[in-house]
Amino acid sequence: MKTIKIALLCTPVVVALGCASYPDQPTTQKIAETMVSGAYPGMPAALVKRSVQDRSQQICSKTGETTLSQQETAEVAQAARTSMKYPASGKLMGDWKVGAKLSYDGGGGRIVGGKVEKRKENGASCSNCHLLDPREVNAGNVGPSLAGYGAQRGNSEAVVKYTYEKVYNAWAYFPCSNMPRMGHNGHLTPEQISHVVAYLVDPQSPVNKK
Amino acid sequence: MLKLRGGIAAIAFLCLSGGAYAADPLAVGRQMLADDNPGDLWAQRGERLFHEKRGPKQASLDQCDLGVGPGKVEGAFAQLPRYFSDTDKVQDLESRLLTCMVELQGLTREDIVKNRFGNLDRMSDMEALVSFIGSKSNGMKMNVRLSHQKEYDMYKAGEYIFFRRNGPLDFSCATCHTENGKRIRLQDLPNMTDPKQMQAVVATAWPAYRGTQSTVRTMQHRLSDCNWQMRLPDLGYASDMSVALTTYLNRSGNGGMIELPGVRR
Amino acid sequence: MAEPMKIRATLQGDVADVRILMMHPMETGQRKDAKGEIVPLHFIQSVVVTHNGKTVLDAQWSQAISRNPFLGLHVKGAKAGDKIAVTWTDNKNEKRTDEVAVTPGS
Repeated sequence: MKTIKIALLCTPVVVALGCASYPDQPTTQKIAETMVSGAYPGMPAALVKRSVQDRSQQICSKTGETTLSQQETAEVAQAARTSMKYPASGKLMGDWKVGAKLSYDGGGGRIVGGKVEKRKENGASCSNCHLLDPREVNAGNVGPSLAGYGAQRGNSEAVVKYTYEKVYNAWAYFPCSNMPRMGHNGHLTPEQISHVVAYLVDPQSPVNKK
Repeated sequence: MLKLRGGIAAIAFLCLSGGAYAADPLAVGRQMLADDNPGDLWAQRGERLFHEKRGPKQASLDQCDLGVGPGKVEGAFAQLPRYFSDTDKVQDLESRLLTCMVELQGLTREDIVKNRFGNLDRMSDMEALVSFIGSKSNGMKMNVRLSHQKEYDMYKAGEYIFFRRNGPLDFSCATCHTENGKRIRLQDLPNMTDPKQMQAVVATAWPAYRGTQSTVRTMQHRLSDCNWQMRLPDLGYASDMSVALTTYLNRSGNGGMIELPGVRR
Repeated sequence: MAEPMKIRATLQGDVADVRILMMHPMETGQRKDAKGEIVPLHFIQSVVVTHNGKTVLDAQWSQAISRNPFLGLHVKGAKAGDKIAVTWTDNKNEKRTDEVAVTPGS
Protein backbone atom coordinates (compact mmCIF):
# COMPACT_ATOMS: atom_id res chain seq x y z
CA MET A 1 0.00 0.00 0.00
CA LYS A 2 1.56 3.27 -1.03
CA THR A 3 1.92 5.64 1.89
CA ILE A 4 0.91 9.19 1.14
CA LYS A 5 3.12 11.85 2.64
CA ILE A 6 1.51 15.09 3.65
CA ALA A 7 3.80 18.10 3.78
CA LEU A 8 2.92 20.33 6.68
CA LEU A 9 3.68 24.02 6.81
CA CYS A 10 5.72 24.51 9.93
CA THR A 11 3.85 27.40 11.51
CA PRO A 12 4.26 27.77 15.28
CA VAL A 13 0.84 26.20 15.81
CA VAL A 14 1.70 23.18 13.76
CA VAL A 15 5.13 22.85 15.39
CA ALA A 16 3.33 22.39 18.64
CA LEU A 17 1.50 19.48 17.02
CA GLY A 18 4.78 17.68 16.20
CA CYS A 19 5.68 18.88 12.71
CA ALA A 20 9.07 17.63 11.50
CA SER A 21 11.76 20.24 10.83
CA TYR A 22 15.50 20.76 10.71
CA PRO A 23 17.07 20.47 14.19
CA ASP A 24 18.83 23.58 15.51
CA GLN A 25 22.63 23.79 15.65
CA PRO A 26 23.16 22.52 19.23
CA THR A 27 20.82 19.55 18.60
CA THR A 28 22.55 18.79 15.29
CA GLN A 29 25.92 18.88 16.99
CA LYS A 30 24.77 16.52 19.73
CA ILE A 31 23.30 14.04 17.26
CA ALA A 32 26.30 14.16 14.95
CA GLU A 33 28.95 13.89 17.65
CA THR A 34 27.16 10.83 19.05
CA MET A 35 27.27 9.33 15.58
CA VAL A 36 30.98 10.02 15.23
CA SER A 37 31.70 8.38 18.59
CA GLY A 38 29.83 5.28 17.43
CA ALA A 39 31.26 5.16 13.92
CA TYR A 40 34.29 2.98 14.71
CA PRO A 41 33.07 -0.14 16.52
CA GLY A 42 35.79 -2.61 17.45
CA MET A 43 38.60 -0.18 16.72
CA PRO A 44 41.48 0.36 19.22
CA ALA A 45 40.82 3.36 21.45
CA ALA A 46 44.10 5.03 20.48
CA LEU A 47 43.02 5.07 16.84
CA VAL A 48 39.45 6.17 17.57
CA LYS A 49 41.03 9.15 19.34
CA ARG A 50 42.02 10.43 15.89
CA SER A 51 38.36 11.32 15.33
CA VAL A 52 38.25 13.48 18.46
CA GLN A 53 38.69 17.14 17.57
CA ASP A 54 41.10 19.55 19.22
CA ARG A 55 39.92 23.10 19.87
CA SER A 56 41.37 24.44 16.61
CA GLN A 57 39.71 21.72 14.53
CA GLN A 58 36.39 22.52 16.21
CA ILE A 59 36.71 26.17 15.23
CA CYS A 60 37.77 25.23 11.71
CA SER A 61 34.74 22.98 11.16
CA LYS A 62 32.24 25.73 10.44
CA THR A 63 29.51 24.61 8.11
CA GLY A 64 29.21 25.92 4.59
CA GLU A 65 29.11 29.66 4.20
CA THR A 66 29.72 30.59 7.86
CA THR A 67 32.81 32.76 8.34
CA LEU A 68 35.19 32.81 11.27
CA SER A 69 35.23 35.71 13.69
CA GLN A 70 38.44 37.67 14.28
CA GLN A 71 38.66 36.18 17.74
CA GLU A 72 38.37 32.63 16.42
CA THR A 73 40.99 33.25 13.75
CA ALA A 74 43.34 34.69 16.32
CA GLU A 75 42.81 31.75 18.65
CA VAL A 76 43.70 29.22 15.96
CA ALA A 77 46.75 31.21 14.85
CA GLN A 78 47.99 31.60 18.40
CA ALA A 79 47.59 27.90 19.18
CA ALA A 80 49.56 27.09 16.03
CA ARG A 81 52.33 29.58 16.80
CA THR A 82 52.98 28.07 20.20
CA SER A 83 53.00 24.52 18.78
CA MET A 84 56.18 24.89 16.73
CA LYS A 85 58.95 22.34 17.29
CA TYR A 86 62.26 22.32 15.46
CA PRO A 87 64.87 19.62 14.65
CA ALA A 88 67.20 18.83 17.54
CA SER A 89 70.18 19.71 15.33
CA GLY A 90 68.79 23.19 14.75
CA LYS A 91 69.22 22.63 11.00
CA LEU A 92 65.93 23.68 9.36
CA MET A 93 67.12 22.89 5.82
CA GLY A 94 68.09 19.28 5.11
CA ASP A 95 68.74 17.26 1.95
CA TRP A 96 66.57 18.12 -1.08
CA LYS A 97 67.04 14.63 -2.58
CA VAL A 98 65.37 13.10 0.49
CA GLY A 99 62.74 15.82 0.34
CA ALA A 100 62.00 14.96 -3.30
CA LYS A 101 61.15 11.34 -2.40
CA LEU A 102 59.05 12.45 0.57
CA SER A 103 57.11 15.02 -1.43
CA TYR A 104 55.98 12.43 -3.95
CA ASP A 105 55.10 9.79 -1.34
CA GLY A 106 51.41 9.96 -0.44
CA GLY A 107 51.33 7.02 1.98
CA GLY A 108 51.70 6.44 5.69
CA GLY A 109 49.36 6.58 8.66
CA ARG A 110 46.41 4.87 6.99
CA ILE A 111 44.46 2.20 8.87
CA VAL A 112 43.17 -1.17 7.65
CA GLY A 113 41.61 -3.77 9.94
CA GLY A 114 42.38 -1.65 12.96
CA LYS A 115 46.12 -1.56 12.22
CA VAL A 116 48.22 1.34 10.95
CA GLU A 117 50.05 0.46 7.73
CA LYS A 118 53.59 -0.85 8.31
CA ARG A 119 56.07 1.64 6.95
CA LYS A 120 59.49 3.02 7.73
CA GLU A 121 58.07 6.55 7.78
CA ASN A 122 55.15 8.62 6.54
CA GLY A 123 55.27 10.34 3.17
CA ALA A 124 54.77 14.08 2.97
CA SER A 125 52.07 13.82 0.25
CA CYS A 126 53.02 17.21 -1.20
CA SER A 127 52.38 16.23 -4.83
CA ASN A 128 48.83 15.17 -3.98
CA CYS A 129 47.89 18.84 -3.75
CA HIS A 130 50.81 20.87 -5.11
CA LEU A 131 52.90 21.19 -8.21
CA LEU A 132 56.56 21.20 -7.15
CA ASP A 133 58.97 19.98 -9.82
CA PRO A 134 57.67 21.92 -12.86
CA ARG A 135 58.24 18.86 -15.09
CA GLU A 136 55.88 16.70 -13.01
CA VAL A 137 52.57 15.95 -14.70
CA ASN A 138 51.09 13.83 -11.93
CA ALA A 139 50.52 16.61 -9.38
CA GLY A 140 47.37 18.05 -7.87
CA ASN A 141 46.02 21.59 -7.64
CA VAL A 142 44.19 21.68 -4.31
CA GLY A 143 47.04 23.88 -3.12
CA PRO A 144 48.93 26.58 -5.05
CA SER A 145 51.78 25.72 -7.37
CA LEU A 146 55.13 25.69 -5.58
CA ALA A 147 57.24 25.40 -8.73
CA GLY A 148 60.11 27.89 -8.47
CA TYR A 149 59.42 28.40 -4.75
CA GLY A 150 63.06 28.96 -3.75
CA ALA A 151 63.96 30.72 -6.98
CA GLN A 152 61.33 33.36 -6.21
CA ARG A 153 62.03 33.80 -2.51
CA GLY A 154 65.71 33.10 -2.12
CA ASN A 155 67.06 30.92 0.68
CA SER A 156 67.72 33.36 3.51
CA GLU A 157 67.35 32.25 7.11
CA ALA A 158 64.01 34.04 7.30
CA VAL A 159 62.66 32.24 4.23
CA VAL A 160 63.88 28.87 5.52
CA LYS A 161 62.28 29.45 8.92
CA TYR A 162 58.97 30.59 7.43
CA THR A 163 58.90 27.61 5.09
CA TYR A 164 59.68 25.20 7.89
CA GLU A 165 56.93 26.62 10.09
CA LYS A 166 54.47 26.64 7.21
CA VAL A 167 54.93 22.91 6.74
CA TYR A 168 55.08 22.18 10.47
CA ASN A 169 51.88 24.04 11.23
CA ALA A 170 50.37 26.05 8.37
CA TRP A 171 47.59 27.39 10.62
CA ALA A 172 50.04 29.80 12.25
CA TYR A 173 49.97 31.73 8.98
CA PHE A 174 46.64 30.67 7.47
CA PRO A 175 44.24 29.66 10.24
CA CYS A 176 41.99 26.78 9.18
CA SER A 177 43.89 26.34 5.91
CA ASN A 178 43.15 23.15 3.97
CA MET A 179 46.81 22.29 4.53
CA PRO A 180 47.31 19.62 7.19
CA ARG A 181 49.38 20.57 10.25
CA MET A 182 52.04 18.09 9.20
CA GLY A 183 54.47 18.50 12.09
CA HIS A 184 52.08 19.44 14.87
CA ASN A 185 49.92 16.36 14.19
CA GLY A 186 52.97 14.11 14.13
CA HIS A 187 52.50 13.04 10.51
CA LEU A 188 56.02 14.23 9.69
CA THR A 189 59.04 14.53 12.00
CA PRO A 190 61.00 17.81 12.26
CA GLU A 191 63.86 16.10 10.38
CA GLN A 192 61.57 15.05 7.55
CA ILE A 193 60.21 18.58 7.31
CA SER A 194 63.74 19.96 7.02
CA HIS A 195 64.24 17.78 3.91
CA VAL A 196 60.96 19.03 2.42
CA VAL A 197 62.13 22.59 3.11
CA ALA A 198 65.35 21.86 1.22
CA TYR A 199 63.37 20.46 -1.72
CA LEU A 200 61.46 23.76 -1.86
CA VAL A 201 64.26 26.22 -1.14
CA ASP A 202 67.58 24.74 -2.29
CA PRO A 203 68.72 26.37 -5.59
CA GLN A 204 69.89 22.91 -6.74
CA SER A 205 66.45 21.36 -6.25
CA PRO A 206 64.47 20.51 -9.42
CA VAL A 207 61.69 22.68 -7.96
CA ASN A 208 63.87 25.70 -8.73
CA LYS A 209 65.19 24.60 -12.11
CA LYS A 210 63.51 25.26 -15.44
CA MET B 1 45.37 -14.44 -31.96
CA LEU B 2 42.37 -14.45 -34.28
CA LYS B 3 41.52 -17.02 -36.91
CA LEU B 4 38.87 -16.09 -39.46
CA ARG B 5 36.57 -18.92 -40.44
CA GLY B 6 33.90 -19.47 -43.05
CA GLY B 7 32.49 -17.21 -45.70
CA ILE B 8 31.27 -14.57 -43.34
CA ALA B 9 34.00 -12.32 -42.05
CA ALA B 10 33.81 -11.28 -38.45
CA ILE B 11 35.89 -8.33 -37.45
CA ALA B 12 36.79 -7.84 -33.83
CA PHE B 13 37.02 -4.13 -33.26
CA LEU B 14 39.34 -2.36 -30.90
CA CYS B 15 39.29 1.17 -32.21
CA LEU B 16 36.93 4.09 -31.82
CA SER B 17 34.60 5.49 -34.42
CA GLY B 18 36.15 8.47 -36.16
CA GLY B 19 35.01 12.07 -35.70
CA ALA B 20 34.10 12.36 -32.01
CA TYR B 21 37.63 11.41 -30.93
CA ALA B 22 39.21 14.77 -31.68
CA ALA B 23 36.72 16.91 -29.75
CA ASP B 24 36.87 15.29 -26.29
CA PRO B 25 38.64 11.92 -26.24
CA LEU B 26 37.97 11.47 -22.52
CA ALA B 27 34.23 11.82 -23.03
CA VAL B 28 34.35 9.28 -25.87
CA GLY B 29 36.29 6.90 -23.65
CA ARG B 30 33.85 7.34 -20.78
CA GLN B 31 30.94 6.65 -23.12
CA MET B 32 32.59 3.45 -24.35
CA LEU B 33 33.08 2.28 -20.78
CA ALA B 34 29.50 3.13 -19.91
CA ASP B 35 28.15 1.27 -22.97
CA ASP B 36 29.93 -1.97 -22.09
CA ASN B 37 30.30 -1.95 -18.34
CA PRO B 38 31.29 -5.16 -16.49
CA GLY B 39 29.15 -3.78 -13.64
CA ASP B 40 26.10 -5.01 -15.58
CA LEU B 41 27.21 -8.56 -14.78
CA TRP B 42 27.04 -7.66 -11.09
CA ALA B 43 23.48 -6.41 -11.54
CA GLN B 44 22.67 -9.70 -13.29
CA ARG B 45 24.11 -11.67 -10.39
CA GLY B 46 22.31 -9.45 -7.90
CA GLU B 47 18.96 -10.15 -9.54
CA ARG B 48 19.58 -13.88 -9.15
CA LEU B 49 20.64 -13.50 -5.53
CA PHE B 50 17.60 -11.35 -4.74
CA HIS B 51 15.16 -14.07 -5.78
CA GLU B 52 17.21 -17.03 -4.54
CA LYS B 53 16.14 -18.89 -1.38
CA ARG B 54 19.12 -18.55 0.95
CA GLY B 55 20.18 -18.77 4.57
CA PRO B 56 18.89 -20.87 7.47
CA LYS B 57 15.33 -19.68 6.74
CA GLN B 58 15.67 -20.65 3.06
CA ALA B 59 13.90 -17.49 2.01
CA SER B 60 14.43 -15.03 -0.83
CA LEU B 61 14.40 -11.25 -0.53
CA ASP B 62 11.04 -11.09 -2.30
CA GLN B 63 9.43 -9.71 0.86
CA CYS B 64 12.15 -7.15 1.54
CA ASP B 65 10.72 -3.67 1.90
CA LEU B 66 13.17 -1.10 0.57
CA GLY B 67 10.77 1.76 1.11
CA VAL B 68 8.37 1.33 -1.81
CA GLY B 69 6.66 -1.85 -0.66
CA PRO B 70 7.67 -5.47 0.07
CA GLY B 71 9.70 -6.95 -2.76
CA LYS B 72 9.35 -3.86 -4.94
CA VAL B 73 12.70 -2.72 -6.33
CA GLU B 74 11.71 -0.27 -9.07
CA GLY B 75 12.38 3.21 -7.78
CA ALA B 76 13.66 1.99 -4.40
CA PHE B 77 17.19 3.29 -4.85
CA ALA B 78 16.02 6.76 -5.88
CA GLN B 79 14.37 7.43 -2.53
CA LEU B 80 17.04 6.06 -0.18
CA PRO B 81 18.11 6.76 2.53
CA ARG B 82 14.77 7.05 4.32
CA TYR B 83 13.04 6.33 7.61
CA PHE B 84 11.65 2.84 8.23
CA SER B 85 9.07 2.41 10.99
CA ASP B 86 9.82 -1.27 11.62
CA THR B 87 13.40 -0.47 12.64
CA ASP B 88 12.56 3.10 13.76
CA LYS B 89 15.62 4.46 11.99
CA VAL B 90 16.81 6.07 8.82
CA GLN B 91 18.54 3.48 6.65
CA ASP B 92 20.50 3.53 3.40
CA LEU B 93 20.29 0.70 0.88
CA GLU B 94 23.02 -1.44 2.40
CA SER B 95 21.74 -1.00 5.92
CA ARG B 96 18.24 -1.97 4.76
CA LEU B 97 19.54 -5.03 2.88
CA LEU B 98 21.33 -6.06 6.07
CA THR B 99 18.03 -5.85 7.93
CA CYS B 100 16.25 -7.94 5.29
CA MET B 101 18.99 -10.55 4.99
CA VAL B 102 19.07 -11.03 8.76
CA GLU B 103 15.31 -10.98 9.38
CA LEU B 104 14.02 -12.78 6.28
CA GLN B 105 16.88 -15.15 5.52
CA GLY B 106 18.35 -15.73 8.98
CA LEU B 107 21.89 -14.83 7.90
CA THR B 108 24.09 -13.33 10.60
CA ARG B 109 25.13 -9.69 10.50
CA GLU B 110 28.75 -10.69 11.18
CA ASP B 111 28.92 -12.97 8.14
CA ILE B 112 27.40 -10.39 5.81
CA VAL B 113 29.66 -7.61 7.11
CA LYS B 114 32.74 -9.82 6.78
CA ASN B 115 31.97 -10.28 3.06
CA ARG B 116 30.62 -6.80 2.38
CA PHE B 117 33.47 -5.81 0.06
CA GLY B 118 34.64 -8.28 -2.58
CA ASN B 119 38.23 -8.87 -3.56
CA LEU B 120 40.10 -10.73 -6.28
CA ASP B 121 39.61 -14.05 -4.47
CA ARG B 122 35.99 -13.76 -3.33
CA MET B 123 32.87 -11.99 -4.59
CA SER B 124 30.58 -9.95 -2.35
CA ASP B 125 26.85 -10.62 -2.41
CA MET B 126 26.14 -7.12 -1.19
CA GLU B 127 27.90 -5.52 -4.17
CA ALA B 128 25.78 -7.61 -6.55
CA LEU B 129 22.50 -6.83 -4.75
CA VAL B 130 23.25 -3.11 -4.62
CA SER B 131 24.09 -3.14 -8.35
CA PHE B 132 20.79 -4.85 -9.14
CA ILE B 133 18.63 -2.62 -6.98
CA GLY B 134 20.43 0.51 -8.18
CA SER B 135 19.83 -0.45 -11.80
CA LYS B 136 16.10 -0.75 -11.08
CA SER B 137 15.95 3.03 -10.63
CA ASN B 138 17.54 3.73 -14.00
CA GLY B 139 15.82 6.52 -15.89
CA MET B 140 14.39 7.96 -12.66
CA LYS B 141 15.57 11.02 -10.79
CA MET B 142 17.28 10.87 -7.41
CA ASN B 143 14.58 11.95 -4.96
CA VAL B 144 15.55 11.78 -1.30
CA ARG B 145 12.72 13.36 0.68
CA LEU B 146 12.68 14.64 4.24
CA SER B 147 9.46 14.19 6.16
CA HIS B 148 10.07 12.18 9.33
CA GLN B 149 11.96 14.05 12.07
CA LYS B 150 14.74 11.46 11.98
CA GLU B 151 15.22 12.17 8.27
CA TYR B 152 15.69 15.87 9.01
CA ASP B 153 18.09 14.97 11.84
CA MET B 154 20.04 12.61 9.56
CA TYR B 155 20.39 15.24 6.86
CA LYS B 156 21.65 17.93 9.22
CA ALA B 157 23.99 15.52 10.98
CA GLY B 158 25.39 14.50 7.61
CA GLU B 159 26.02 18.13 6.71
CA TYR B 160 27.72 18.74 10.05
CA ILE B 161 29.97 15.70 9.57
CA PHE B 162 30.78 16.76 6.00
CA PHE B 163 32.44 19.88 7.39
CA ARG B 164 33.92 18.25 10.50
CA ARG B 165 37.71 18.38 10.49
CA ASN B 166 39.53 15.63 12.30
CA GLY B 167 42.36 13.12 12.06
CA PRO B 168 46.13 13.57 11.68
CA LEU B 169 45.67 15.46 8.41
CA ASP B 170 42.92 17.80 9.64
CA PHE B 171 40.70 16.63 6.78
CA SER B 172 36.99 16.98 6.45
CA CYS B 173 35.03 16.00 3.34
CA ALA B 174 34.94 19.74 2.67
CA THR B 175 38.74 19.93 2.45
CA CYS B 176 38.62 18.21 -0.95
CA HIS B 177 35.04 18.58 -2.07
CA THR B 178 33.93 22.20 -1.88
CA GLU B 179 35.76 23.88 -4.76
CA ASN B 180 35.47 23.75 -8.53
CA GLY B 181 38.21 22.53 -10.79
CA LYS B 182 40.30 20.84 -8.11
CA ARG B 183 42.09 17.52 -8.36
CA ILE B 184 44.28 15.29 -6.20
CA ARG B 185 47.18 14.45 -8.53
CA LEU B 186 45.26 13.64 -11.70
CA GLN B 187 41.97 12.63 -10.05
CA ASP B 188 39.24 15.24 -10.48
CA LEU B 189 37.31 16.15 -7.33
CA PRO B 190 33.59 16.96 -7.55
CA ASN B 191 32.44 20.06 -5.71
CA MET B 192 29.75 18.57 -3.48
CA THR B 193 28.20 21.92 -2.61
CA ASP B 194 27.29 22.44 -6.27
CA PRO B 195 23.90 20.80 -6.97
CA LYS B 196 24.66 20.43 -10.67
CA GLN B 197 27.87 18.52 -10.00
CA MET B 198 26.15 16.43 -7.35
CA GLN B 199 23.38 15.49 -9.76
CA ALA B 200 26.01 14.26 -12.20
CA VAL B 201 27.84 12.39 -9.45
CA VAL B 202 24.91 10.56 -7.84
CA ALA B 203 23.55 9.61 -11.25
CA THR B 204 26.33 7.14 -12.03
CA ALA B 205 28.00 6.31 -8.72
CA TRP B 206 27.75 4.61 -6.34
CA PRO B 207 27.41 1.62 -7.13
CA ALA B 208 29.95 1.65 -9.94
CA TYR B 209 32.42 -0.86 -11.40
CA ARG B 210 35.88 0.26 -10.31
CA GLY B 211 38.51 -0.80 -12.84
CA THR B 212 41.35 -0.62 -10.33
CA GLN B 213 39.44 -2.95 -7.99
CA SER B 214 37.93 -5.25 -10.66
CA THR B 215 34.58 -5.22 -8.89
CA VAL B 216 31.55 -3.05 -8.28
CA ARG B 217 31.99 -0.76 -5.31
CA THR B 218 29.17 0.76 -3.29
CA MET B 219 28.61 4.02 -1.41
CA GLN B 220 29.65 2.36 1.86
CA HIS B 221 32.93 1.37 0.25
CA ARG B 222 33.51 4.88 -1.09
CA LEU B 223 32.97 6.36 2.37
CA SER B 224 35.34 3.75 3.82
CA ASP B 225 37.92 4.64 1.21
CA CYS B 226 37.69 8.35 2.02
CA ASN B 227 37.98 7.46 5.70
CA TRP B 228 41.15 5.49 4.91
CA GLN B 229 42.77 8.44 3.17
CA MET B 230 41.76 10.72 6.03
CA ARG B 231 43.84 8.43 8.31
CA LEU B 232 40.78 7.51 10.37
CA PRO B 233 39.97 4.00 11.64
CA ASP B 234 37.84 1.53 9.64
CA LEU B 235 34.40 3.08 9.22
CA GLY B 236 31.61 1.01 10.78
CA TYR B 237 29.63 -0.67 8.01
CA ALA B 238 26.16 0.92 7.69
CA SER B 239 26.94 3.03 10.79
CA ASP B 240 24.72 6.03 11.54
CA MET B 241 27.56 8.31 10.49
CA SER B 242 27.76 6.67 7.06
CA VAL B 243 23.98 6.85 6.61
CA ALA B 244 23.96 10.51 7.67
CA LEU B 245 26.59 11.40 5.08
CA THR B 246 24.75 9.38 2.42
CA THR B 247 21.50 11.18 3.23
CA TYR B 248 23.16 14.57 2.93
CA LEU B 249 25.03 13.73 -0.28
CA ASN B 250 22.23 11.88 -2.09
CA ARG B 251 19.78 14.66 -1.31
CA SER B 252 22.31 17.17 -2.65
CA GLY B 253 22.07 15.25 -5.91
CA ASN B 254 18.27 15.21 -6.09
CA GLY B 255 17.16 15.56 -9.69
CA GLY B 256 20.10 13.61 -11.07
CA MET B 257 19.01 11.04 -13.69
CA ILE B 258 20.02 7.62 -12.38
CA GLU B 259 22.10 5.29 -14.60
CA LEU B 260 23.55 2.52 -12.48
CA PRO B 261 25.89 0.78 -12.04
CA GLY B 262 28.36 3.33 -13.32
CA VAL B 263 32.03 2.80 -14.09
CA ARG B 264 35.07 4.42 -12.49
CA ARG B 265 38.83 3.89 -12.39
CA MET C 1 28.55 -22.64 -12.73
CA ALA C 2 30.10 -19.61 -14.38
CA GLU C 3 28.32 -16.27 -14.48
CA PRO C 4 26.28 -15.77 -17.68
CA MET C 5 27.73 -13.39 -20.25
CA LYS C 6 25.96 -10.22 -21.22
CA ILE C 7 25.63 -10.16 -25.02
CA ARG C 8 24.11 -7.46 -27.18
CA ALA C 9 23.76 -7.89 -30.95
CA THR C 10 22.31 -4.88 -32.72
CA LEU C 11 21.72 -4.70 -36.45
CA GLN C 12 23.25 -1.79 -38.34
CA GLY C 13 22.33 -2.27 -42.00
CA ASP C 14 23.42 -5.85 -42.64
CA VAL C 15 26.10 -5.85 -39.95
CA ALA C 16 25.42 -7.08 -36.43
CA ASP C 17 27.30 -5.02 -33.83
CA VAL C 18 28.02 -7.65 -31.16
CA ARG C 19 29.20 -6.64 -27.65
CA ILE C 20 30.12 -9.30 -25.09
CA LEU C 21 30.88 -8.88 -21.39
CA MET C 22 32.34 -11.90 -19.58
CA MET C 23 32.99 -12.43 -15.90
CA HIS C 24 36.24 -14.32 -15.41
CA PRO C 25 39.18 -13.91 -13.02
CA MET C 26 41.74 -14.23 -15.85
CA GLU C 27 44.47 -15.06 -13.32
CA THR C 28 47.96 -14.56 -14.71
CA GLY C 29 49.55 -17.06 -12.36
CA GLN C 30 51.73 -14.30 -10.94
CA ARG C 31 49.42 -12.84 -8.29
CA LYS C 32 49.85 -13.71 -4.64
CA ASP C 33 46.77 -14.02 -2.44
CA ALA C 34 46.35 -12.60 1.07
CA LYS C 35 48.31 -15.54 2.51
CA GLY C 36 51.23 -14.86 0.17
CA GLU C 37 50.63 -17.91 -2.01
CA ILE C 38 50.60 -17.81 -5.81
CA VAL C 39 47.09 -17.91 -7.28
CA PRO C 40 47.27 -20.49 -10.07
CA LEU C 41 46.86 -19.69 -13.76
CA HIS C 42 43.14 -19.52 -14.60
CA PHE C 43 42.19 -17.84 -17.85
CA ILE C 44 39.91 -18.14 -20.87
CA GLN C 45 41.83 -20.00 -23.56
CA SER C 46 39.35 -19.98 -26.41
CA VAL C 47 36.37 -17.93 -27.48
CA VAL C 48 34.15 -19.11 -30.32
CA VAL C 49 31.35 -16.98 -31.79
CA THR C 50 28.80 -18.54 -34.13
CA HIS C 51 26.19 -16.97 -36.37
CA ASN C 52 23.22 -19.29 -36.88
CA GLY C 53 25.51 -22.15 -35.95
CA LYS C 54 28.34 -21.16 -38.31
CA THR C 55 31.62 -20.17 -36.65
CA VAL C 56 32.55 -16.57 -37.41
CA LEU C 57 35.24 -16.00 -34.82
CA ASP C 58 37.63 -18.45 -33.18
CA ALA C 59 40.00 -16.70 -30.83
CA GLN C 60 42.85 -18.01 -28.73
CA TRP C 61 43.42 -15.92 -25.65
CA SER C 62 46.26 -15.79 -23.15
CA GLN C 63 46.52 -14.67 -19.57
CA ALA C 64 47.40 -11.22 -20.88
CA ILE C 65 43.71 -10.51 -21.46
CA SER C 66 42.32 -8.61 -18.50
CA ARG C 67 39.97 -9.75 -15.77
CA ASN C 68 36.24 -9.49 -16.65
CA PRO C 69 37.05 -9.06 -20.33
CA PHE C 70 35.03 -7.35 -23.02
CA LEU C 71 34.93 -8.52 -26.64
CA GLY C 72 33.32 -6.65 -29.51
CA LEU C 73 32.89 -7.72 -33.11
CA HIS C 74 30.99 -6.97 -36.31
CA VAL C 75 29.25 -9.82 -38.13
CA LYS C 76 28.41 -9.17 -41.78
CA GLY C 77 25.34 -10.56 -43.49
CA ALA C 78 23.20 -10.69 -40.36
CA LYS C 79 19.42 -10.29 -40.15
CA ALA C 80 17.14 -9.53 -37.23
CA GLY C 81 16.38 -12.70 -35.29
CA ASP C 82 19.60 -14.47 -36.27
CA LYS C 83 21.24 -16.38 -33.45
CA ILE C 84 24.61 -15.25 -32.14
CA ALA C 85 26.15 -17.76 -29.71
CA VAL C 86 29.34 -17.22 -27.73
CA THR C 87 31.30 -20.00 -26.02
CA TRP C 88 34.35 -19.53 -23.85
CA THR C 89 36.53 -22.34 -22.53
CA ASP C 90 39.21 -21.83 -19.93
CA ASN C 91 42.38 -23.69 -19.00
CA LYS C 92 40.52 -25.65 -16.31
CA ASN C 93 38.16 -26.86 -19.02
CA GLU C 94 35.28 -24.83 -17.61
CA LYS C 95 33.08 -23.47 -20.33
CA ARG C 96 30.14 -21.18 -20.74
CA THR C 97 27.82 -20.69 -23.71
CA ASP C 98 25.26 -17.92 -24.06
CA GLU C 99 23.10 -16.99 -27.01
CA VAL C 100 21.11 -13.98 -28.14
CA ALA C 101 18.99 -13.04 -31.13
CA VAL C 102 20.10 -10.12 -33.28
CA THR C 103 17.84 -7.16 -32.58
CA PRO C 104 16.97 -4.56 -35.19
CA GLY C 105 18.88 -1.32 -34.83
CA SER C 106 17.21 2.02 -34.06
